[in-house]
Amino acid sequence: MVNETPEVVKINKWDGAAAKNAIDDAIREVFTGELKCKESFALIDGRLFLCALAVGVALYALLWDYLYPFPQSKLVLIICVSSYFILMSILTLYTTFKEKGIFVVAKEKTGNNSRVWEASSYVKKHDDKYSLVLVMRDANGKTREATVNKSFANYIDNNGTVVQSVIVNEITKLYNSLSSEKKEK
Amino acid sequence: MLDSLFDDVKRMNKRQFIYQVLSFGMIVSSALMIWKGLMVVTGSESPIVVVLSGSMEPAFHRGDLLFLTNYPDEPVRVGEIVVFKVEGRDIPIVHRVLKLHEKNNGTVKFLTKGDNNSVDDRGLYAQGQLWLTKKDVVGRTRGFLPYVGMVTIYMNEYPKFKFAVLACLAIYVLVHRE
Repeated sequence: MVNETPEVVKINKWDGAAAKNAIDDAIREVFTGELKCKESFALIDGRLFLCALAVGVALYALLWDYLYPFPQSKLVLIICVSSYFILMSILTLYTTFKEKGIFVVAKEKTGNNSRVWEASSYVKKHDDKYSLVLVMRDANGKTREATVNKSFANYIDNNGTVVQSVIVNEITKLYNSLSSEKKEK
Repeated sequence: MLDSLFDDVKRMNKRQFIYQVLSFGMIVSSALMIWKGLMVVTGSESPIVVVLSGSMEPAFHRGDLLFLTNYPDEPVRVGEIVVFKVEGRDIPIVHRVLKLHEKNNGTVKFLTKGDNNSVDDRGLYAQGQLWLTKKDVVGRTRGFLPYVGMVTIYMNEYPKFKFAVLACLAIYVLVHRE
């Protein structure tokens, strides 16, 4: 019963960020569900680790300053403040150059072949175009890429509900074209 | 309506939710770290203060924002405006140095007075205290922004309003994805 009726996601369709998140989530579901891939969390865990470390450093500074009031705590504060801002810049670099908007990394095993799919998306401000970039990496290190540039209206109906079947079709189409291209070579 | 407010949160998976909480934590800790960084740079335990009374008029008015430094090797001089703490009082006081005695070994004791007050501050000090020393000083005034601190004064006068504003901001950040 749980699988029969996928949860209906209804969002405020005029909220660009919410619409993007909802579609991202739906695409993730296609990879873990229909395409039977295993989601890899390494990328997002790395970001969570950096965030947690930064917050931890700040908490430590707060606690230390509370236990040993200011002039005494100066050295610890200098270390904490500078490492906090270094961590923040590392986090910025990580999200812009490593994550690059990738919201799902899915691992697929077919026999001896293992492939990695990375999906990222971006939406320009005040634009209705949802751009999806799908990257496939096979075991030999070859990468193939496909981009779809479509309006939100393709994926979300009038009521603000994400149309799962359209997304499934879109993703399987991309999936098949990227997979078959490989065979041609 | 309220139900749909939490829709975003309900749809999140475990990692997204953790990230949401952490990004809220990072907003708070960034502010905290900037404050602590200012403390280190200025050497003062409270680098920015708000004038709460009119005792320094016409130099400072209620609500002015003061920037302080407290470098240990800079001597206190007569005529400077210092912010100091008095035992038994929670709120530091901003007043001008009136008299100062300095010994050869560098220790100082000084008396302060508010420009707008008719008497010096001995009545404000702790019982039996006649002079202030360096350890009482929070910082020396280096610059000010007029009236910007009025917001903080209103916030402190109406604590409920302050908590309401803070709670709204916190909920907005926690509930809204990105």
